[in-house]
Amino acid sequence: MWLDEDLTLEGLGTGVAPARTRRQRGVRVGAAPAWVRARLATTPGRLVLVSILIIVGAVCFGAIATGAEQSRERAAKAARSQTEPLLVHAKDLYTSLSDANATVATGLLSGGVETAANRNRYLADLRIATNALSALASESGTSAAAPVALNTIADQLPLYSGLVETARANNRQGFPIGAAYLRRAVQLSKTSMLPAADRIYSTEAQRLQEDYHTGSATATLVTFAVASAVALILLVLAQWYVTRISRRILNVGMLVATVALASVAVWGVVGLIGEQNALSRAQQHGSDPVEVLSATTVLLSRAQGDLSLALVNRGTDETDQLDFTAVERVLPPLTGEMSALARRTGTTAAANRFDSDYASYQAQTKRIQELQNKGELQPALQLEQPTANISDRLSSDLDGQIQAAQGRFKSAAADATSALGGLAFAIPVITVLAAVAALLGLRQRINEYR
Amino acid sequence: MKSRLRHFAGLVLVAATAAGCGATSDQASRIALAALATPPQHLKPKPPTPATTCTASLRPPATMPTPGKMPARSFMAQIHRRGYLRAGVNAGALDFGYYNPSTGKIEGFEIDLVNEIAKAIFGTAKGHVQPVALTVGQREPFVRQGKVDIVVDTVTMTCARSKEVDFSTVYYDAKQRVLVPANSPAKSIGDLAGKRVCATAGSTPVYVMQHLPHPPDVVGAPQAIDCLVYLQQGKIDGISTDSSILLGFNQQDPNTKLVGPPFADVPYGMEISKTHRDFVRFVNGVLAELERNGTWQQLQAEWLGQFHQLQAPPKPKYDG
Repeated sequence: MWLDEDLTLEGLGTGVAPARTRRQRGVRVGAAPAWVRARLATTPGRLVLVSILIIVGAVCFGAIATGAEQSRERAAKAARSQTEPLLVHAKDLYTSLSDANATVATGLLSGGVETAANRNRYLADLRIATNALSALASESGTSAAAPVALNTIADQLPLYSGLVETARANNRQGFPIGAAYLRRAVQLSKTSMLPAADRIYSTEAQRLQEDYHTGSATATLVTFAVASAVALILLVLAQWYVTRISRRILNVGMLVATVALASVAVWGVVGLIGEQNALSRAQQHGSDPVEVLSATTVLLSRAQGDLSLALVNRGTDETDQLDFTAVERVLPPLTGEMSALARRTGTTAAANRFDSDYASYQAQTKRIQELQNKGELQPALQLEQPTANISDRLSSDLDGQIQAAQGRFKSAAADATSALGGLAFAIPVITVLAAVAALLGLRQRINEYR
Repeated sequence: MKSRLRHFAGLVLVAATAAGCGATSDQASRIALAALATPPQHLKPKPPTPATTCTASLRPPATMPTPGKMPARSFMAQIHRRGYLRAGVNAGALDFGYYNPSTGKIEGFEIDLVNEIAKAIFGTAKGHVQPVALTVGQREPFVRQGKVDIVVDTVTMTCARSKEVDFSTVYYDAKQRVLVPANSPAKSIGDLAGKRVCATAGSTPVYVMQHLPHPPDVVGAPQAIDCLVYLQQGKIDGISTDSSILLGFNQQDPNTKLVGPPFADVPYGMEISKTHRDFVRFVNGVLAELERNGTWQQLQAEWLGQFHQLQAPPKPKYDG
């Protein structure tokens, strides 16, 4: 701390905790009470003491201010170049695994011969999933849940694709066991791979939230501001004290120190506020929409997969319809949040397009379900392809919006880190310079007594 | 002292304001994660139904009405007025009732029987049949609620079901048998005592197996066809269900074989609402005629001839 018993006695009154003061004094008095007392009785002795306190104070301020700045900067940098990119990989993993289910189910519905586009989409899903998996694996180890979940997916992805190919081969021959293999593949995905993807994704999402909390923590800003204010006040008090005991009005060195300290304080506060505003923009205009849109993508492909599977099963299994209904129930809060975020980010045109497409998707799925509930398989099957087309449009719509939000995140996160640019260097350097200037000023006074 | 306090308060105020406008909130993230956490839905399997069968049905009318001229106020006349017969069928049982992806139609032995009934009402089946693909759980409720006129869906004529709906006479006599991998040493169900044998969870075959003198370790699957997947994956030692279904499995996987004698009767009957007894008699009349004029045998040869053992038409049993 900047404080000392002498300043306390003469200028500050209640500024210091009494216990600490007493202990400090005890040590010093115990070591050389007479010597200290003798030195303190003289003006140069007091000036030397002030010098020592300025060094101690500068070290303390430098440490606290740099610590505060570093905690913010680390979090902002982590959000920008580590946790958010990992969240995007986790999102890619999650959405591609979910999309693979829907794509394969739609492909099997088209009869013996699957379209090339559908086949390519499935292969692209697998490619995206494996790429995301290796990107996540190379960065894992930072959380406890992720490695296990990553292993689960890595172990089961080959099993999954094996089941899918067996389903295809059997379906090409017109064998009902093709649908059964598809069910096993989707069940493996739904009960094991997708929950693992969900664990990875939510771990990454939570880590990003933690970075946001740390990167915009009010406590950090307050700590920095209070440390700066206390340092400035004490420097002013020291000048007042020096002026009083040395009977000189102005001390250039201490004045320079005060100005330097004030400037770094203002710079720091402005930088921290700028950083936290940019980080909050990165969240609210960038990663929030990314997360909500990604969740919608995952759930929509799950719904589409359920719909296709129910049809693949030719009405022999009700599980998929149950799952479809469950998914449909959780979608409204999500699309509500999507609209709210679209208003916030000024992307209502895209959101409105999504809303109207989603409304027609719902109407279409409702018709399919009605037909299925009546057991009218053939008309329901005829509606499946048009519905899958709307679902495709929805997911590419969402993908476009995710890309846009991702762009907004990147620029805001870059603003956040650049708002703090140079501070990590400036705080210690300017603090040292200020301390040196103050000491030089004090030495000038001390020398006057020699 | 006072100015210091004011200074400090001012700074805190600035900080708080700044914090307020740049605040982060995890609300959106929480909403997204909560929606994603929706667990996959499952159906609970039902307990298996007892295997006792009731195969007697109502006697056909003395003379069958001419197609296109159904007796007034009969249920057949109602169907005729409507213009089509609504039949609950299976869409996943190869050769019996199966949605063929290459033709885009449900076809099979049972579908042709439905067509024959439509022909007896309308004179021709073309355009007069609406197939309704049903799940096992939908069959009886759909008949009772009048959503379908008839169910022809590999339904075993259990006494429990005959309390809910009326059955036609037996139109196919399936038997419960056991299917094993081609290299299995088992020669009958008896050799599989304590071994893992699969059947549809909650189905009659499960009940039959559990009540054998030396029962196997019964594995339940969501659907019978899932048993074939388990068998191909080496997870089970055999599958036991209706021979008609097992023969369909054998057709899809030639590396399997049916072994041992049948050990339970699985008579198939058509389900009709208890309020339409005239229709039950009519359908029984159609079935008797099909068996008499050789159509039944011809359809059997057409659909089941290649892989199934041909059988004589089942003998109808009448009780009223």
